[in-house]
Parts: sequence; structure tokens; C-alpha cells
Amino acid sequence: MFLAFLLALAMPAEWVPARWNSSDPATLELVRGTAVNCLVVERGNWSPTFAEKAGAEGISVLGLVRPGDDLSDLPARAAAAKLQGIVFEGAFEQTALSRTRAALADSKLAVVAMGPRTRMDLQAAGGIVATNQGVWPGINAAEDGKEKAAPSGAPWIDTNSGFLRFVRASLNAEKPAQVWIAYQPPANQVIPVTRYLQAIADAEMLGAHWLVTLDDDTRKRLLAREEKAVDGWKRMTELLSYFQSHGEWRRAGPYGQLALVQDVDSGGLITGGILDMISVKHTPVRPMPGRKLSDDEMKQAKMAVNVDPALLTTEQKEVLRRFTRGGGTLLTAPPGWKFPPQREDQITLDKESVEKLDQIWKEVNSMTGRNNLGARLFNVASVLSYMAVGNGGKQLIVHLVNYSDYDVENVTVHLLGKWKSVKLLAPGKEARALTVFETEDGTGVEIDKFGVIGTLLAE
Amino acid sequence: MVLQNRFQVSRREILASFLAAPVVMRAAAAPVAPVAIARCPSYAEDQAALLRGMFDQIGGLGKLVKNKTVTVKLNLTGSPALRLQGKPLGSTHYSHPSQIGAFMRLLGEAGARRIRLVESGYGTVAPLNEYMLDSGWNVRAIVNAAPNVELVNTNGMTWKSKYVRRKVPGQPLMFPSYMLHPAYEETDVVVSMAKLKDHATCGVTLAMKNMFGITPASIYGDDAGVDDPNESPTKGRVETCHLGKRQPARIAESEVDPKSSREPGYRMPRVTADLAVARPIDISIIDGIETMAGGEGPWIRNHWRGALRAVKPGIMIVGTNAVSADTVATALMGYDPRAPKGQGAFRECDNTLLLAEQMGAGAADLKRIEVRGGRIDDLMFRFTG
Repeated sequence: MFLAFLLALAMPAEWVPARWNSSDPATLELVRGTAVNCLVVERGNWSPTFAEKAGAEGISVLGLVRPGDDLSDLPARAAAAKLQGIVFEGAFEQTALSRTRAALADSKLAVVAMGPRTRMDLQAAGGIVATNQGVWPGINAAEDGKEKAAPSGAPWIDTNSGFLRFVRASLNAEKPAQVWIAYQPPANQVIPVTRYLQAIADAEMLGAHWLVTLDDDTRKRLLAREEKAVDGWKRMTELLSYFQSHGEWRRAGPYGQLALVQDVDSGGLITGGILDMISVKHTPVRPMPGRKLSDDEMKQAKMAVNVDPALLTTEQKEVLRRFTRGGGTLLTAPPGWKFPPQREDQITLDKESVEKLDQIWKEVNSMTGRNNLGARLFNVASVLSYMAVGNGGKQLIVHLVNYSDYDVENVTVHLLGKWKSVKLLAPGKEARALTVFETEDGTGVEIDKFGVIGTLLAE
Repeated sequence: MVLQNRFQVSRREILASFLAAPVVMRAAAAPVAPVAIARCPSYAEDQAALLRGMFDQIGGLGKLVKNKTVTVKLNLTGSPALRLQGKPLGSTHYSHPSQIGAFMRLLGEAGARRIRLVESGYGTVAPLNEYMLDSGWNVRAIVNAAPNVELVNTNGMTWKSKYVRRKVPGQPLMFPSYMLHPAYEETDVVVSMAKLKDHATCGVTLAMKNMFGITPASIYGDDAGVDDPNESPTKGRVETCHLGKRQPARIAESEVDPKSSREPGYRMPRVTADLAVARPIDISIIDGIETMAGGEGPWIRNHWRGALRAVKPGIMIVGTNAVSADTVATALMGYDPRAPKGQGAFRECDNTLLLAEQMGAGAADLKRIEVRGGRIDDLMFRFTG
């Protein structure tokens, strides 16, 4: 019997996680049949009954521990609670964590270290690479709350997508891990369901998972089966299902003719850095950690930005020389420019670094200009996009995530190259063929409307 | 005077009117032209029929545009990325695409030889068609609505040509002349296709204020060149025009009086009045069907008018004298078009209408302006709520 339910459980790489603040087995009805197949429960809610019932539903239950918790006998206590794994959330003291993880090694329990970004083991072979540091995604329109007496530019979008792009590009190529990011919704705010959908899509478009975490009010209302909260939860799980039902998207590689040569030591793990700056302009960009820099990887690129040349090895520098000799355009950070070391508690740029990056950003903007480096998108100020190529280059996937509270209307997309057909996909809706027209760059389509997410599939 | 019983006149205002006697004399001499007004509840109405009818009331469009190059200055203020409550730009602070398309059609039918849609897109010299795409517009429909429609971003030198200098005749108020994109010179007819809005700096923004956008950011922008234009501008014109913190690129003439006030409420009405005579408007179309109140764009915050709000006045104004059209439009907004600085819509700025009148562009005098197609009282929509 026990073996039977174990067989029904998904493997860790397939887990779609959510925080669950209840040990009441009756609450499992909210998860039953959804894409969520992994519940992360607070220590106070560790319960063998709950875990067993969840397991019978094909849902894995992981126990959460935080710095300061008593870690003694953790394997035994986790086993007693019939957990499938332990999530270490936060910046644990390293020695204590190592000791505990060693103790868990024989337990067959999955272990997820969900701490500072700088501690992520990007080279882990399989498993889950996670962090508990993220920004709450959304449009950041206010400029210090100050009065604006004249027209101004586009609003900034807070997003983890740049960071997740970099992480994904940096993973073990042979056996990439699944990436989780965890952060809390802002406190003392009424959070509409669209904000949760944006948080989910912010990670999912990059093939990562946000550890779905509801604010206290929403959580209480959901557990009380309040209709509006249940409807909101259904929309969240429907969005998760949308991404889970397209495993090929996760396997598709990033697409774009702009390569960003960047590493952990040159701001790859920072949110709001150069990668996000490029993304907010909808320029298809591929992060390129120095370690992965090769002639083959640079084949797709026409332009490249080298954020910190001093970090590259002689061979890596030679790859870039060959790239420029072959006609590629390379923008290199100013001499002497050095990215300051990232503190463990830091996930965004300090003011000085922003000013420095702004210089590079202006040059990048000038270099990319109106060039179509994969796609050009219009009327998408509240949207971030991610382009990937699958099916041996025969299928182009363009995720469009809308961070505003309103539907996006009348979007125009100019895809580079000739594509015969373009479909628009959205959660809960039939795929719709779009009218394709010719543009100077290749193929154009118009999208009349989409909500939080729209996905273009070009073939 | 139709408005006399609506705008209460204080003793102070009466005294001020005596002190302004020379201005009144100028008002009597300044030109006026009939203004057509109409009710139109929504853009779903037949915009071409609406405009055709309004033009017929003031003498017809054909005689104004037949066999001529017509340059239509749109109102696409601020980045298309900024929306009021997520609404389409044309429903709040931009010209409305359906109305532009309809007007293109009318111009084509009226025999316009060439039509140029122009605007200085915020912080960019990118082609205007891309700016329109970023606004969510169907550019192909607009361009195909009439023969020979061109789109020109006049924020920089987008042609193989040179900027042109337009002198301010008479006594300039801010700059002796303005350097402009040649599209504003190489034309027979200039149309200001404006939106009926409050304005944080100028009180109201109508046909004349819309023309502030003809100043290229390459020369008048915050990141304009010192000597030569910066042909890759990325910013607006606040430093040079609103605040006077810097002078335009030296290709253009500097201010008449560099020691004059640096207050935007002093400067911007004067720049607007200068432009009204340096590059006169031949046709004013003011769209008040759907718009916004409280400011000219969603970036306005903490203004004395209070919160911004989308409104549906459901009115249109068309005229051939911009001061006449703006005067009627101001009255339709529920404001006194002759209110001095400190009153009504002009609480924190000089009255552009009176300055333009002083420049001889037209009389801001409702008693002299013939309003056709409706009565101001009947169509008035009070922007103060």
C-alpha cells in the first residue's frame, strides 16, 4: 500500500510547489486534480495523517525548517511525519546545515536548500536549486511618489525573470536542476488574484517555479472555502497547468541574437541589472555565462555585451574575438569597470551600481537600436517577454506576461524571419490562429487582447 | 454675453479689466473665425460624418485643403507606455485613432494632395509608425484611409534636409524664433488635432498648446546638444522649455530674456503663444469625446485639481482660428477663457489665450466668436466636476 502511493508521487524535478498552512486533510480537496503536486508545510503542521492522505492523492509533502529551528533528530522527525523531503528556508549557518544535510543523506528524503541566491548550487546535477530571495513582481510606476510635471517614459517592471534567465543559462548542461524561487507577497495589502498570476507567470515563463505563497487574508479565506478565494485559487492552478501541460516549452532553448556575457561575479544573480534592463526593452537576449562561451553557442548571436571582460579566460576572450572577426558586434564594459561583489543579503543593485550600469545600458540601447534580434514587440509597456526555440529550430515560442491590472490590447509583434503560421495560446482558451502579414523583418502578427499571459507559437 | 451669468465677476476682476484696457483694445482688433461645436457621445459614432458636418458649418473642408499638402499635428503626449487606469490612450490623453482615420478619409475625399501626420514622439526619433504601434493603433488602417499619407516623427531630423527657423513676428515672449522640422514649413495647411484637457502647467491644453510638441527634442530636449542637435534624444523638453535650466542647442536662438521667470506657469504659456504666431494653425480640431480631467496625462500627480479621472464630455470643436477654437473649447470646459493668472483654470499660470491674443493670433473673446452647431450652455462639460 505504502509502495503504491509512493509510485504515484511525482519525482522532485516534476514537483509544482505551494506553501500550505494547514494539516487538515480536508484541505487537500483544494489541490486535488490541479497542477500543484507538492505542498511545503510549516513545522507546526507536520502531520503523518496529512502526509499520508496527500500521498494517496499523488501529492508530496515537504517540511519547512528555518534558521533557529531545532535541527536535532530531523531525519527521524521527518520520517515520523511521513514527509517526502525537507526545505531549508533562509540563510542557515553553513556548518549546521551541512551537518544536518549529511544526517539526511541516508534518509532518502529530498532536500531543498532555499537560501540566499549566492548559495545556489547552479552546477547541481538534477534535483532542485532554490532561493528564498525574490522581488514581488509588478509594475513600479511611482517615482518616489513625487509629482511629475511633464511627460515621462515607460514604467519599470519589478521582475525576477532576468535573474531566472541567468540561473537557467548557468545550470548543469547535462542534467539541469529544476529551479524554485520563493518570496512572500507584500504585507498589509489587498492582493488581487492577477498579482498572484503575474508572480506565477514571472517564473513559469522561464521554466522555473515560484513557491506559491498566499497572503494571510487570502489563505484564510481559501481555507474557509470562500467563493472568491476559491475562484482565485482555481485561476492560479489553471495557470500552473497551462505551463505544465507544455513540457516542450521547458526544454526549448532561449532564442535571441543578442548574447549577454555575464557571470555570478558580474551581476548575474542580481535583479534589476543589465539583463532586466534589456528585457524591459523586449530585446531577445540570451545570457551567456563565461563557462558556456563557445563558437557554437555564439553562432546564433549577432551582437554581444561583455559585462566584465576581466573575468574571462584567454580562451573565452578568443571566442569573442572570433565572434567579432566573423562580423558580430561586441560591446564591452568600460575599462576598469568592475561589478561590486554581491552581498549574501543583496538581490538588487545599489545606487552607485545603477548609475554605472546606466552608462553601459545607454550603449547597449544605442547598439541594439531598432534592430530585430528575434522579435520586435509594440504596445507592450506592461509586458515582459521570453523567446525560446524548440523542435530543432522549427518552432518559436514567445511568452508574453502582462504585469498590469488590465488586459493588454492591440499588440503588434514583428518576428524575425518567415513563419508560416502563428498561433496564440492562453490559459483556458482554444489556441487561435493569427493572421500573418509580411514586415521588413519577416513576419508580423497582431494580438487583439490577452490577460496575464499569452503565448505565441510560430512554425 | 452668454457666459456673464455663469462666471461671477468680482470687484477685483472689474478693476483688473480696467487695468487691462490695452489688451481689450487688442482683442477688438484680433481676428476671429466661426467655431463649430457638436455633441458626440462616443467614438463608435460615424466620425467622418461628424467632422464633415462640422466643417460644412464653417465653410467646408474642400476649400481649405484641395490640392494642398496638409500637415496634421497629432496629440501623442508622453510615452505610450503610460496609461490612465489601463485605458486606451485615445480615450484619455492621445488623439483617437478612429478619428484620425476618419479625418484622413475626409482629407482624401476633399482632394488633399499629400497628408503628413506629424508628432514629436516622447524621447525618441523612432519612426512615427512604430510610435503608433506602441500606442496600440492599427497604423495600416490609418495610412490606407487616404492616398499619400505619410508619417513623420519631427523630434529630430528624420529627413535629408535641414531644420527651418520660424521667426516669431512682433514682440516674442520667450524665444525670438524656433527651429523646427521642415515638415512644418513645407506645407500649405497645418492642422492641430488636439485633445480637450486640463493642463498642469498651462491651465488647459487645446489646439495651441498641442503645437508645443512641434519643438524637436533634438534641439529643445533635456539631452539636446549644446551646439548642434542631438539626433538621438531620449528625453522630454522640461529643462529647456518648462524650467529654463538650459538653453536650446545653439543652432536655435536663445531666450529673449534669460533673466525672466523660471516658473513653468510663466514660461510655457509664452512658448505656446510664440508658436501660435511663428507657425500658425490653419485648422483646429479639438476632441472632447473621451478625455481626461485633472491634467494632461497620467504622469500628473499632486496637482491642485485633485485626482486624475477619465471623463466623457462627448463634445467636438472645429475651427479655422486656433484662438477662437480654444476660447470656445475653454468655455465648454466650464472655465472663463479670459480669466487672468490666479483664477479659474489659470490658477498657477498665465492665460495662453490672452497671450496669444496679445500676439495678434486671435481674439479670446466669446462675444465676437460665432459658435455654430450648438450652444455652449447646452454642450458644456465642467472639468472641475
